[in-house]
Amino acid sequence: MLGREGGRRRLVLVGLAGLAVAITACRPQPQAQTPGRPRIALVMKSLANEFFLTMEKGAREHQAKNAARYELLANGIKDELDVNAQASLVEQMIAQKADAIVLAPADSKALVAACKRAADAGLVVVNIDNRLDAAALAERGLRIPFVGPDNRKGARQVGEHLARTLQRGDAVAIIEGVPTTFNAQQRKLGFQDAIEAAGLRLVASQSGEWEMAKANQVAAALLGEHPELKAFLCANDNMALGAVAARKAAGKEGAVRIVGFDDISAVAELVKTGQVLATADQHAGELAVFGIEYALETLDKKSPPADRETPVDLVTAETLR
Amino acid sequence: MSGAWREYLGLGVALGALVLAFGALTDHFLSRATFAVIASQVPAAILVAVGMTFVLILAGIDLSVGSVLGLAGAVLGAALGPLGLSLPAGLLATLLTGLLCGALNGALSVYVRLPSFIVTLGMMEIARGTAYTVSRSQTAYLGARVEWIAETTVLGLSPATLVALAAAAVGQIVLSRTLFGRYVVAIGTNEEAVRLSGIDPRPIKWIVFAASGLLAGLAAVVHTARLASADPNAGSGLELQAIAAVVIGGTSLMGGRGSVVRSLFGVVIIAVLGTGLAQMGAAEPVKRLITGCVIVAAVVIDRYRNRSQGREGQ
Amino acid sequence: MPAAVLLRAESLAKTYTTPALADVSLELRGGEVHALVGENGAGKSTLARILVGLTKPDAGRMLREGHAYAPSGKAEAARRGVAIVLQELNLVESLTVAEQVLLGAWPSRLGFVDRRALREQAHAALGRVGLRGIDLERPVRSLGVGQRQMLAMAAALARPCRVLILDEPTAALSEHEAERLFAEMERLKAEGAAILYASHRLEEVRRLADRVTVLRDGRVVATRERGEATSAELVQLMVGRDAGSRPPRDARPTPSGEPVLRIRGLRRGRVLRDVSFELGRGEILGLAGLMGSGRTETVRALFGADRVEGGEIELRGRRLPRFFTSPKQAVAHGIALVTENRKDEGLLLPLSVRANLTLARLSELCRRGFVRPEAETAAARTLASRLGVKCASLEQPVRQLSGGNQQKVVLGRWLDRDFDVLLCDEPTRGVDVAARAEIHEHLQELAAAGKAVLVVSSEIEELRALCDRIVVLSAGSVAATFGREGFDQDAILVAALRDHAGGKGAA
Repeated sequence: MLGREGGRRRLVLVGLAGLAVAITACRPQPQAQTPGRPRIALVMKSLANEFFLTMEKGAREHQAKNAARYELLANGIKDELDVNAQASLVEQMIAQKADAIVLAPADSKALVAACKRAADAGLVVVNIDNRLDAAALAERGLRIPFVGPDNRKGARQVGEHLARTLQRGDAVAIIEGVPTTFNAQQRKLGFQDAIEAAGLRLVASQSGEWEMAKANQVAAALLGEHPELKAFLCANDNMALGAVAARKAAGKEGAVRIVGFDDISAVAELVKTGQVLATADQHAGELAVFGIEYALETLDKKSPPADRETPVDLVTAETLR
Repeated sequence: MSGAWREYLGLGVALGALVLAFGALTDHFLSRATFAVIASQVPAAILVAVGMTFVLILAGIDLSVGSVLGLAGAVLGAALGPLGLSLPAGLLATLLTGLLCGALNGALSVYVRLPSFIVTLGMMEIARGTAYTVSRSQTAYLGARVEWIAETTVLGLSPATLVALAAAAVGQIVLSRTLFGRYVVAIGTNEEAVRLSGIDPRPIKWIVFAASGLLAGLAAVVHTARLASADPNAGSGLELQAIAAVVIGGTSLMGGRGSVVRSLFGVVIIAVLGTGLAQMGAAEPVKRLITGCVIVAAVVIDRYRNRSQGREGQ
Repeated sequence: MPAAVLLRAESLAKTYTTPALADVSLELRGGEVHALVGENGAGKSTLARILVGLTKPDAGRMLREGHAYAPSGKAEAARRGVAIVLQELNLVESLTVAEQVLLGAWPSRLGFVDRRALREQAHAALGRVGLRGIDLERPVRSLGVGQRQMLAMAAALARPCRVLILDEPTAALSEHEAERLFAEMERLKAEGAAILYASHRLEEVRRLADRVTVLRDGRVVATRERGEATSAELVQLMVGRDAGSRPPRDARPTPSGEPVLRIRGLRRGRVLRDVSFELGRGEILGLAGLMGSGRTETVRALFGADRVEGGEIELRGRRLPRFFTSPKQAVAHGIALVTENRKDEGLLLPLSVRANLTLARLSELCRRGFVRPEAETAAARTLASRLGVKCASLEQPVRQLSGGNQQKVVLGRWLDRDFDVLLCDEPTRGVDVAARAEIHEHLQELAAAGKAVLVVSSEIEELRALCDRIVVLSAGSVAATFGREGFDQDAILVAALRDHAGGKGAA
């Protein structure tokens, strides 16, 4: 009995030691500390999401080219909705004495308190991707610049491109993202702008929770309930892929058009063949870079914070040609 | 036999009531198209639920199935995409991935004697992390290479649906007719009594976990085929959905009791709920609320049914 | 004696699928021990449960000192001064001994448990049942069956009670522990309390009871004053026939003596220090000893259920390299085990009689991995009728059977298999007189057929009736071995106490 216990304990120790070695090996090489070189922390949402991964990659490439100008601390959370984990990340960055934080908030209100702590600690805070809630910021007396694309405008462009292929009065449906997020709300508004302008008929707007399988279920159900549907406006490309599968299952390939948002690599082929009519490229790879450049500028010139809009481009079969 | 049919009757009635309710509340629910949609959505969930039924009957739990599905799907995406393997080789790699994850779960929980809850919780994270690594967190569009699997062919059913139904049938037969199935039920009822009867429960438990992984791999093929894309986030939350379906089917979380066919009813009930509520245009909070209520109600009803039966005999 | 009637039951009836109790009336008077006897399934437990509100009667009423009494459960019964110790102990494994004793009445201060008062009160209650030496902070799960029984008793007595109901209290006790219990019963009786004592053990009943009520098939067959009925008459009342015809031990030829199993120096931690004995073909060997003497551990070690640290084992004249490392291995070598605790280790309670009977040899009833239903049912039917298992059908859940029938099922699991050695740990605990006789008969038949049988029992009387030899364990080693001619209750007890110096023996 004793012998076995001891054996097991030894096994655990060996395992832990192995794990420690593995973790050390995985850690990125610490970059040489150059005094005076500002440290910029990039805090993102889920690195499981292609969009943020691209964003991180862009930031790392930019840093490699500009190694002399700044030091980069890039971090993301596991679950896109884990606001708490992201707030602690912001606090860790304060503790690590970063000079600036470039933040893609998981929630537009819940991260305001963490930003306030960062600002109070003297850090420059730049908001990218998902805009912090204006009212919440005002209440705290914070002015945090937003650097990023206008999602509403982008969604409107995509919607207008779709509308050009439809008739006034045609039935369409929106597949929303997670309805509590700013981007989901903005994209929905942008789609609605386009729908109203073109006189289309919006018969349903439901959440696909940014997920392919969920969007597939919703799209399939809507196709069943509204046989007259002519198009789906999906708030991201993953959901557009789900809708494409639902359309195929319903045998309505010729009859229903689908648009998405984000321009992920998996839809490129579908856009080329017209299965997805259009999507929007908001230059994910450069979004963080825009934020970082802005942070460097602010650190440099101490200029007052002001929002800066970054481009969103419509992607269609033509633009890909 | 008649007893078994009576058992299915309750669930059948519940399902029928649900279908009729949605039929009354929406314009187009009662149509061939709707049922085709549901039939195309359930195969992955059925496959996972078959494995989960066995695991729960053993008084274990497998929280990793959703992530294993994601990983196996990512392997399929990588095999057919960047690696350029043939479809059979890709499918083989996918199934092996599932089997390997399940076998690892089984080995750790059975031979190292760790609680399956912890082991599979760990695997849930490991498999998801690996899925992101394998796919570089990118959704891969596979298109026609896999789509045929989910396309309707025989009698209005797709190969995927047929595979899932076959798995359920085999599962039910194994559970109720074979030595292996009888041992599974006995172990879930009282493992020590089985051990003291001169039967080694460990290989049996190990096989059940491995099979659960393999079925998750098979579910990955079906899921990927339906969406024509390999999404590294695929299957997130599926483990809880499968457990819910199995529990709706009357399988006990305490082990020793369950039926694959009834789990199949559970899966279909959840799918009908999802599709019906979407057709009604119900908002997300309402959907969740109603789905939760149905799960709890099913378990409550099942509890009463059992108690009244227990009383009769005492 | 014009003693007051403390609890009166009038025309109680309870029907499940079949009537469990019909028109049962009973009086419990102050200062009496009222024994309740009957076969398992006669309705003793149902009656006991009704008296404390754990089961609701379908008809009839109860009066507590003349006032209407219909308790909603144990808590209310306890408030009315009626306590019970159930046959199936309901202990919370994770609690400490002190917490368990006072469960439901923890002394508290400002909402916090007052640990000191808890310990003091628990200590007092435990002292009354002779568990004074026990560590109050020990978790209940670490206790053996006998200690648990005494703990349950202490818990019942922790609050003042006027009526105490005991359902098979001595089934799990060693004789010594039982003596403590009897002393406590005498004390309560002297204080004017009434005790309802349900038991199978007629010697105890004859010794303790002022009156005896016999139940059969849910009806009161007779109530007798002390000394009015002989044991034989009681048995006849209980079973409704003359059951005194137990075949005497001598009907079986003396075993050949050819050893089948021989163990030497079996060791495991502090529990098993040095156990050596041999078991011959056709022999029934008894293993006696107090609780904690290593009886159960010896059996489990032989069966490969627990690990062994040292010792030698010889089977059919061949020395094995080591003790078995798994029950599967033991079974493959022709060893069978009837476990001590049939509910936890023996039976698949919710499953059918059929599934339980065929468990150990199901693989032989299969073709290509598929169970052959006809073969299985046939095998189960043969076993059930051979053992005389009383059940509504082979598909009845084994949980619903009486203790005696459950035990037959556990035994029956092995009968079809090819084995040489049968290990039985407390084969007749909580089993009624008739079933016990039948089980003894089966064991003797097995021995007569050349099997070697090892029987562990807390009842020396049982071993004396059944065995060819008795090995006495004391604190993990063999204290003495007795041949048939040397069977003597006192000598066996002395041997059993040998190495437990200053332990429970002195309390």
